[in-house]
Amino acid sequence: MAIEDAPLDDKAKRMRDLLSSFYAPDPSVAGGSLPKGASLDAINTDSFDADQYMNLLVQRANLEGLLQKHVEMAAEIKNLDTDLQMLVYENYNKFISATDAIKRMKSNIVGMEANMEQLLDKIMSVQSRSDGVNNSLFGKREHIEKLHRTRNLLRKVQFIYDLPARLGKCIKAEAYADAVRFYTGAMPIFKAYGESSFQDCKRASEEAVMTITKNLQGKLFSDSESIQTRAEAAVLLKQLDFPVDGLKVRLFEKLEQSLGGLQVKIGDVADALEESNDEQENDLQLGFAVAHDASVHEFVETVRAYRVIFPDSESQLIKLSEDLITKHFLITEQHMKKRVSTATFLRVLRIIWDDVLLIDHVLPEALLHDYCFKVSQSAIKQYVSSMFSHLLDDVSGAMMKVHPQQNNVAEEQLQVALEAGKNSLLKGSMDLLLGFRQLLEDNLDLLVKLRELITDWVQAGFQQFFEALDTRFLLLSGRIKSSPQDQSLSEGLQSEKISSGLVLVLAQLCVFVEQTAIPRITEARTEIAASFSSSGARGYEHGLVFHPTEISRVFQSASEKFLHQYINMRTHRISVLLRKRFTTPNWIKHKEPREVHMFVDLFLQELEAVGSEVKQILSQGVRKHRRSESNGSTTSSLSNSLRDDKLRRSNTQRARSQLLETHLAKLFKQKVEIFTKVEFTRESVVTTIIKLGLKSLQEFVRLQTLNRSGFQQIQLDIQFLRTPLKELAEDEAAIDFLLDEVIVGASDRCLDPTPLEPPILDKLIHAKTAETKEQNSSVASPTSQ
Amino acid sequence: MQAGSSGVGYGLKYQVHLIRLSADGTELICEGLFSHPNEIWDLRSCPFDQRIFTTVYSTGESYGAAVWQIPELYGQLNSPQLERVALLDAHVSKIKCVLWWPSGRNDKLVSIDEENLFLWSLDSSKKAAQVQSKESAGTMHYLSGGAWDPHDVNSIAATCESSVQFWDLRTMTKTSSIDVSHVRTIDYDTKKDHILVTAEDETGIHIWDLRKTKVPIRELPGHTHWTWAVACNPEYDGLILSGGTDSAVNLWLAPTGSRDEITSDSGQNSLSLKVDPLVNSYTDYEDSVYGLAWSSREPWIFASLSYDGRVVVESVKPYLSRK
Repeated sequence: MAIEDAPLDDKAKRMRDLLSSFYAPDPSVAGGSLPKGASLDAINTDSFDADQYMNLLVQRANLEGLLQKHVEMAAEIKNLDTDLQMLVYENYNKFISATDAIKRMKSNIVGMEANMEQLLDKIMSVQSRSDGVNNSLFGKREHIEKLHRTRNLLRKVQFIYDLPARLGKCIKAEAYADAVRFYTGAMPIFKAYGESSFQDCKRASEEAVMTITKNLQGKLFSDSESIQTRAEAAVLLKQLDFPVDGLKVRLFEKLEQSLGGLQVKIGDVADALEESNDEQENDLQLGFAVAHDASVHEFVETVRAYRVIFPDSESQLIKLSEDLITKHFLITEQHMKKRVSTATFLRVLRIIWDDVLLIDHVLPEALLHDYCFKVSQSAIKQYVSSMFSHLLDDVSGAMMKVHPQQNNVAEEQLQVALEAGKNSLLKGSMDLLLGFRQLLEDNLDLLVKLRELITDWVQAGFQQFFEALDTRFLLLSGRIKSSPQDQSLSEGLQSEKISSGLVLVLAQLCVFVEQTAIPRITEARTEIAASFSSSGARGYEHGLVFHPTEISRVFQSASEKFLHQYINMRTHRISVLLRKRFTTPNWIKHKEPREVHMFVDLFLQELEAVGSEVKQILSQGVRKHRRSESNGSTTSSLSNSLRDDKLRRSNTQRARSQLLETHLAKLFKQKVEIFTKVEFTRESVVTTIIKLGLKSLQEFVRLQTLNRSGFQQIQLDIQFLRTPLKELAEDEAAIDFLLDEVIVGASDRCLDPTPLEPPILDKLIHAKTAETKEQNSSVASPTSQ
Repeated sequence: MQAGSSGVGYGLKYQVHLIRLSADGTELICEGLFSHPNEIWDLRSCPFDQRIFTTVYSTGESYGAAVWQIPELYGQLNSPQLERVALLDAHVSKIKCVLWWPSGRNDKLVSIDEENLFLWSLDSSKKAAQVQSKESAGTMHYLSGGAWDPHDVNSIAATCESSVQFWDLRTMTKTSSIDVSHVRTIDYDTKKDHILVTAEDETGIHIWDLRKTKVPIRELPGHTHWTWAVACNPEYDGLILSGGTDSAVNLWLAPTGSRDEITSDSGQNSLSLKVDPLVNSYTDYEDSVYGLAWSSREPWIFASLSYDGRVVVESVKPYLSRK
C-alpha cells in the first residue's frame, strides 16, 4: 500500500476522496455544503431539485447547448458508474485480505504452549543447583569473618598501647594536628575501657595531650605567630573539647579595647577639624588623619585575624563594627550641636566612609554599606535641619538686638537691625545653599547614593525654615503665645512690652523675604543644582517640596499683619493719651481756654516717634495729592472758606450759623474714605496712624458733654494741630475732614457751641508755636555743641 | 407691631421714636414720636411688655434713669408726653445702663452707675420702683455697662475700665472677672451657656468661655477703628453682628463648637480659624454705628443705628444659606 501511495496519481486520489466521502458521517461536510438555492447547478448537494434543474435548463439553453449538456451528462454518468464499480471491487479485495490474515494468526498460535513448559522446567533446575552451592560455602564464610574482626581489634589495641609514645613524638615534632587526630581517634576506647584495661595508657596519653593544649594556647595568644597558625591552634583546641568560648571572649575583649581607642581618636579628629579651620593647621589635620588611618588599619587587621580564628563569629563582629559606625555618627551629631562648616562635615563623613570601606573589605557579610547609609541618612538629615535652625537663630538673634534698648530708641538702631536681619537671612541662606552644593557635588559614594534624599531634605528644610521663621516672627511680635519649648527665647520678651519698632522691623523684613529673599533663593537653588527641581515631582507626593509661592503668600500676609500690629500699637498709645485727656477733666465746668492744651504736644511727640521709626525702616513713597486734586477739592475749599469766614465774621451769631453751615456742607459732601489700605511707605503709615488718632479723638469728644469753654478749648487744640498734622500726612483732605469732624462733634455735644473769636484763636496759636520753636531751639542748641 | 419686629430708637435730642417694620419687611414706619425730658444715653425696651422701656438720661451735669410707658395712640402723631412708670432715683454718680430681667415677666431691674449696682423691684401698678439691694463696685473701678446672663438669672456681667466683672445678685458679691480693657459692649450668647462676646475699642471682638477666663477662645479682628457694639444672634449659632466707628456693620460667623469640643478639641478650633470669619460688611453708613439689635421674632433681621440718626434694617438671609 505504501508503495502505491507514493505516486499519488489522479485515479488513486479520486478514489480516496470518494471513499472518504462515502465513509464520512455527514454527507454535507464531505460534499461541501452550498447554501440553499445558491445555484441550481449544484448537482452534488442534497437540495438538488432535478425537475427544477431540468426546467431551467430547457428554458435557458438552446438546442445545441442542451445536446452538449446531454453528452456531458452521459459521460459523467458513465464515469460515476465505473467509479462505483471500482469501489465495490476495492472493498471486496480488502475484506479478502483481512480474512487471510486472521487465518494465518490462528495456525501460528497452536505450537507455542509446549515451548513455554520446557522453559519453566529449565529455570527450576538452575535454582536448585544454586541453593546447593550456597549451603556448602556458608560455614567457611562465617569463619573468615570472625578472623577478620579479631584482627581489627588487635590492631586497635596495638594503636592504643602505642599512643603515648606517638603523642610524645608528635609534640617533639610540633605536629600537633596529627597528635590531636590520634588522640580524638582513641577517645571512644578510652571512654569505654579507660578505667580497666588501658588505665596506664590513658593516663600517659592524657598527660601528653595536656602539654599539647598548653602549647596550643600559648600559640593562640602570641601575636608573633602567624594568623594561620593561630587559627589552626584554635581549631585544634576546639577539637580537644577545650572550652574555646572563654578564649573567644578574651580575644574579643581585646578587640573591643582597641575599638575604644579608635573611637577616642575619631573624637580627636573631629575636634581637630573643628578647631582647625585655618589653612595653616592643615598639616596637623593630616597628622590626625594619618593617626586615625593607622588605628583603623590595626582594627581591620585584628578583625581579620579574629574572623579567621573564630570563623563563626560574624554576628559579633558585625555588631561591633556597626557600633563603631554608630559611635562615629554619634560623635558627629554631637559636634553638629555646635556650628560645623560643610567642609568639616564632609571631611568627617569622608573619614567615616573610608573606615566603612576598610571594614567592609574584611567583613563583607556585615553589609556595613547599607548600615552606614541608614545611619548616615539620619545624620545628614539632622545636619541639614541643624543648618536651618542655626540660620533661624541667626535671623531672630538679629531681631532680638532691637529689644534691649527699646526705651531709648537710638537713631538708626532699627535700621541697623533691619539690615542685620536682611543680611543674615540672605547670606545665611546663600551659604546654606553653597554648603549643600558641596554636599551634592562631592563624589563620595555615600553622598552620591543619598543625593536625591539630600535634595528632598533641603527642599523640605527650606519650606520648614520659612514656616518656622514665620512662627518665630509671630512669637517675637507677641502675636502668639509661646509654646513651652520656646520659653527661654520668649522669656525676655514676655516680661517687657514688645517694642513697636521691632514689629515694624519684622513687617519690613517680611516684605524683604517675600520680595527679595525668596526669589533669590529660588533662583540660586535652580542654578546650583538642576536636580533640585528634577526631584521635585517625587518630593511633591510626600509634601516635601519647597513652595516659593506659598511661602511668599504667607510672608505677604505676615507683613501686612505686622504692619497693622505696628499701627495698632502706636494708635493704642495715642488712644491712651487721648482717653486720659478726655475722661479726666469735668468738661461741663471747663475753664476758659488760655493756651493750647499740652496733650497736643504729647500727641505730636508720639507722631514724631512714629516718624523716626518709620523713617529708618520704610521707604519714601510717592507723595500723593490725589485727595486734594479730585474729590477732596470740595472739602479743602470748604474748610478754607470756613477759615476765611472765621476771619471775617466776628460776632457769635455768625459763628453759630457757620457751624450750621458745616453741618449742611457735610450733608452734601462726598463721603471721604477715611480708612484706606495701608501701604509700605512712610507717609501711608504715618497718615493711617494720624487718621486713626483723629477718629478716636472724635469719638472721645462725642462721649462728653461740653460747656462753651470746653468746646473752645477743643477748637483751639484742633486748630493748632491742623498745620503740623498736614505736614506729616499725605492725605490732606482726609485730615482736614477729620479735624472738622472733631469740631463738629464737639459742637454737637456742646450746650452752648460758640466758637472762639478768630483773633484770640490766632493769638493763642501763635503763642504756642513760638513756645514750641523756642523749646526746639533750646533743645537743639546743647546737642549741637 | 404685630407685623414683624419693632423697636424703640434713640431720638434726636429729647425725642423717642416708635418704629414699626412693615409686614413685608421693606418699609420702616414711624408710629409715634414722643418727647423725652432729657438727653437719652441708654434705652432698653422691656422684654415682656413692648410698650414699656427704660432710659438713662443726662441733664448735662447730672444723670437719671426712669421706666416709661408709651401712651395709647389715637391716630395723632404729635409729641404726646410719655407716661413715667417709675423713677430709678437712688443713683448719685453717672448712670451707665439699666438691664431688664433677661426673659419672661419679672419685675426685677438692674441699674448700673459708675460705682454701684442696684437691683430694683418694679411695681407697675403703684408706679414705683424700690431698691432691693445695692452694692458698690469699689472706687477704683468705673463701671461702664453690663449684661444679664440669660442662662443664669442670678448672674450679671458688668464692664469696667480694665476688666469684665461677674456679680451674683443673690449675695451681691463679685464672683469672678476677666481681664480685658476698655470693653464697649458685652453680649451673652443666648443659645449657648458660658459664651460671652465682648467688643473692645481697639482690639476687636473677643469670644470668651466663662469657665476658662484666662484667654479668649476666639478673636475676631473687629473694625478698622473702634468696635462699639456687638450682638449675638438669638437663633443661629456663632452669628455675631458688630458695629464700629469706621461706619460699618460686620457680620461674623464664628462658631465656637459644641461644649465638649471647646474643652477637649483644640484642633478643630485651629482649623476653623483658617476660614475667614467675616461673612459680610455692611458699609452703607455715613457715620459711626452705635446701636445694633437682632429681631426677636425674625432672627435673620437686624436693625442698626448710626450717629447721624439713621436706622437701617437689613436681612442676613442671603448669607445664612452659605452655612
